[in-house]
Amino acid sequence: MVSRSRRRERQKLIAIVDYGMGNKHSVLNALQYLGIEAQVTADPEAVRLADRLILPGVGAFGAAMENLNRSGLREAMNEAVLRRGRPFLGICLGMQLVAGRGLEKGIFEGLGWVPGEVRLLQPNDPDIKLPHVGWNDIIIEGDFPLFQGLKKERAFYFVHSYAFCTDNPAHIAASCEYGGRFVAAVARDNIFATQFHPEKSQKNGLTILENFADWEGGPC
Amino acid sequence: MLKQRIIPSLLLKDGRMVKGKNFGQFRDVGDPVTAAKVYNAQKVDELMFLDIRPTRESREQVCRVIEEAACECFMPLTVGGGVQSVEDVKSFLDIGADKVAVNSAAVRTPELIRAAAELFGDQCVVVSVDYKVNAAGDRTVWIDSGSTDTGLDPLEHVKRCVALGAGEILLTSIDKEGTLEGYDLDYLDEVAGSVRTPVIASGGAGRLEDFFRALTETRVSAVSAASIFHFTDQSPIKVRFFLSNSGVNVRV
Amino acid sequence: MGLRLCSRCVTPETHETIFFDQEGVCNVCRQQEFKQEKIDWVAREKELHALLDTYRGKGDYDCIVPFSGGKDSTYTLYALVKEYGMKPLVVSFDHGFYRPTVQEGKLRTYRRLGVDVLQFTPNWHIVKQLMLESLKRKGDFCWHCHTGIFAYPMQVSVKYKIPLVIWGEPSAEYTSYYSYDDGPEEVDEERFNRFVNLGITAEDMAGMLGGKVTLRDLVPFTYPKLRDLKAINSRSFCLGSYIPWDVKKQSDLIKKELDWREEAVEGVPPEYGYEKIECMFQGVRDYLKFIKRGYARVSHLASIDIRNGRMSRESALDYVKKYEGKRPASLDIFLEYLDISETEFNEIAVSQLVYPNECDPAKLAKGDTLWDQKLWFRDPGAGSGKS
Repeated sequence: MVSRSRRRERQKLIAIVDYGMGNKHSVLNALQYLGIEAQVTADPEAVRLADRLILPGVGAFGAAMENLNRSGLREAMNEAVLRRGRPFLGICLGMQLVAGRGLEKGIFEGLGWVPGEVRLLQPNDPDIKLPHVGWNDIIIEGDFPLFQGLKKERAFYFVHSYAFCTDNPAHIAASCEYGGRFVAAVARDNIFATQFHPEKSQKNGLTILENFADWEGGPC
Repeated sequence: MLKQRIIPSLLLKDGRMVKGKNFGQFRDVGDPVTAAKVYNAQKVDELMFLDIRPTRESREQVCRVIEEAACECFMPLTVGGGVQSVEDVKSFLDIGADKVAVNSAAVRTPELIRAAAELFGDQCVVVSVDYKVNAAGDRTVWIDSGSTDTGLDPLEHVKRCVALGAGEILLTSIDKEGTLEGYDLDYLDEVAGSVRTPVIASGGAGRLEDFFRALTETRVSAVSAASIFHFTDQSPIKVRFFLSNSGVNVRV
Repeated sequence: MGLRLCSRCVTPETHETIFFDQEGVCNVCRQQEFKQEKIDWVAREKELHALLDTYRGKGDYDCIVPFSGGKDSTYTLYALVKEYGMKPLVVSFDHGFYRPTVQEGKLRTYRRLGVDVLQFTPNWHIVKQLMLESLKRKGDFCWHCHTGIFAYPMQVSVKYKIPLVIWGEPSAEYTSYYSYDDGPEEVDEERFNRFVNLGITAEDMAGMLGGKVTLRDLVPFTYPKLRDLKAINSRSFCLGSYIPWDVKKQSDLIKKELDWREEAVEGVPPEYGYEKIECMFQGVRDYLKFIKRGYARVSHLASIDIRNGRMSRESALDYVKKYEGKRPASLDIFLEYLDISETEFNEIAVSQLVYPNECDPAKLAKGDTLWDQKLWFRDPGAGSGKS
């Protein structure tokens, strides 16, 4: 795949949102490896005007929302994603934040872009370890542009203790089995988000990032 | 369901990979950056880099290795060796590590575990516990690259670290390490069964059968190995095929 | 010995990357099924034509064809020149062990087809050290050959700015590092690191040999940097990803068109005279595999025949029993080249046993001597390879 990196006809700069919650460089490294233009930015203006956004993240829900609110990045992302309809990819904590609210160490309001709540994983077997860390297979729940071209083996790297919970199956792009099913990816219009880390999931993960770079925000 | 993991560990000394036996007699086993690329090509589950003689210079070398590895290897990277402060943890995370292993500091300044877990998330903190069996037949924790006996009981120490926020435990038998004679299975199962946090077995893998036994006869979540990959014709990819063939849930 | 075999072919559980499904059929057999039943080879060949069209006529050469004179590279070269009209630069890495029939055969092929050829021979002093080190570390003395064959043509590609490199047989034919249902097999650095180099890079070797060789000595075995390959838009793939690989059909074709000749090979029945004829130490290589893994080349070839409907499993098992597991006569030359004793060799081999195989090499019978062994290069006065 590397030796066949696709040429893009116009520059599409991806803004990787830096809100102080870790691992932005991993995503940047992956995109650079793929020959995709991207920059890490904490500047709300750059985020507001970005062609497309990636919201990575590792850490606590409450602290993350506080950072996003305080810095003006939340408003900037709302403008780019909700009003301008630009493609958005959330990763791990970046996926959880799109929920209505998060219940990690308190009750916090999320971005509210995809209805749902972030709750502690509760595997049905007490011997099952927490956090959920390692490679697990995802079950793809439909035809999604970002999931095109994946290898037949569908394991991705997860590391989390909390998960997105929603009653609306239409928004579930993929699920995963860990002592019960949980949501592995959500999709709504121009918003796509994964609980797993594509930038840490080798070939399949790189495929998702490449697909995101070409995605215009609509369905397949 | 979650797969069990095979994690190559890369011991670093003076910028090269080394491997020894019982934490001594180290031999050069290659270049850590190209080794990371080799392991990446073999689609390993993750990599662990451990600086065995941490100094200021070696820290810089290790950082360069991680930075280069992070440019072409897209899987979780754990780094350890000489981590004593939150700044140390942050500096490794900033250059591309996903997890940081804490060893001696977990004994001397255990509050580091809590501080790092709170600032960066518990999934970033791996507590590495090395132990040996003493003359009386008891296991005790050793630190400072296996040169100082703390007298602590490893299981109690692990439980304390988990309570402080450790995301994973790396448990290494110094007696077995580098011998290629198999893991310390009973004890691994005892520890892994006593905590909810994932435990990674380390020390002793020499044959394919050793991986199979550790993953099916104990409650560990992952196994780490080095000598078998450096000194025999085995590779992580061959190991995973063998394990999958034997019914173990691993990536192929 | 009691190794579990595939229920369809005769490949055992010790084969690297093997996996038996619920019917006991191995993944290599299943891949062959996929190759024979599910791939649209007509469409693939169309893709190949289109791909080659984009490279033909550009630069001094249309492509590089890495060449050894064996059946696969000879067929690949023939097909690209005669059937696909390409102007290749032939690049042949000399591992040091070409047999006389093959040397002559290469020349005949070059002259009949009319091609430009670059042949490269690495420093023998370095090669001997690499052979011994890789034998000790991995129970496989061919590191210099695996890496030279796959890295050197890529270096030529960068130096001469010829982006397209075309190989022959996909590894999916006999292992599962890559599989037919995962798309065309790219022969890139990832593949090199995944299995070709035995997990050892030139950078590793430089340190492992403790200063006796440097990175500069190991240039021929070093994969070019990613940025240099990207700069020329490198593309390197197997012809066998675009046309269905069939060793019997292809060997018959090159015998007819190029007078390509078979050769006797140690431990293998004469019917397989098209296989692995290009290396003097194929017998020693197979012997090591037998000691470590309990099977060797006959199992491999017979399994291929079973998968192609040319042999029954019963006949295959008979062949294996009759031909495998003998100590090759060429081991004497090998030991002389590396200046080690047979005891040392056996110790190394046994230290690399792959579970659950067991073997005592001292108990194995001796095989016959190849007719050309007496012609192989000998230089007993040259001194030891060890420093």
